[in-house]
Amino acid sequence: MIESPVAQTAIQLILLALVSLLIPASYRVIAGPTLPDRLQAVDLITTLLIGIIVMLALVEGTQVFVDMAIALAAFAFVGTISIARYISEGRVY
Amino acid sequence: MILEMLGVAALFFGLCFCAVGVVGVIRLPDCLTRLHASGKVATLGLFGLLVGAALLMPSTSLRLLALGLFVLLTSPVATHSIAASVYRRREIVDELEAAPAPIESEGIVAVDVTAVLSQSRIQDIIEAQERARRHHRRSARPDRDK
Repeated sequence: MIESPVAQTAIQLILLALVSLLIPASYRVIAGPTLPDRLQAVDLITTLLIGIIVMLALVEGTQVFVDMAIALAAFAFVGTISIARYISEGRVY
Repeated sequence: MILEMLGVAALFFGLCFCAVGVVGVIRLPDCLTRLHASGKVATLGLFGLLVGAALLMPSTSLRLLALGLFVLLTSPVATHSIAASVYRRREIVDELEAAPAPIESEGIVAVDVTAVLSQSRIQDIIEAQERARRHHRRSARPDRDK
């Protein structure tokens, strides 16, 4: 567990900055001219979310959040692959 | 104390690369270059955050290592599938095409590249472009766009 208040404040500031990075990343989801642009921006948002969950584990001091991050990474991988196949081939399988 | 300082420094390193990747995803001209920028977030940005978290909370370092290995394995595959979908759909939109780069600027002598290249080399490049365009037209399938 983190004792010093300087490190605590730094961690909370980094978490805040990571969350605020989601807003410009979602701009690309909305304004992306083509479909792969939006898919790639969603992939970027998922990567940022994994980082946010890891930072949340630091702030809370709980280990369970890291397991959540692993599960999110697994589901994001499957989702990205299948959507990329769907928008290029017209079918998933 | 030293471990905490190192951990916070690694967290800031990861945050800097995340910010750079997001700026690149917004500003770069087409989808393939944007993929290059978001790869920075998935490798350097996330790994900085993971190393910082492992230094600050050593009890979770095994899980963080597993997460890092998983992201290291899956992120190139996802990026490659997105790039393949861009290529198969053949819809690369160049947003900077309308605004050509300025040739002359103060104090810098502009070099004309075509004067440096010999004429036969220019001919080679033009022929290769023609060949690529013909191949593109032949293999582009019209039933994609429905």
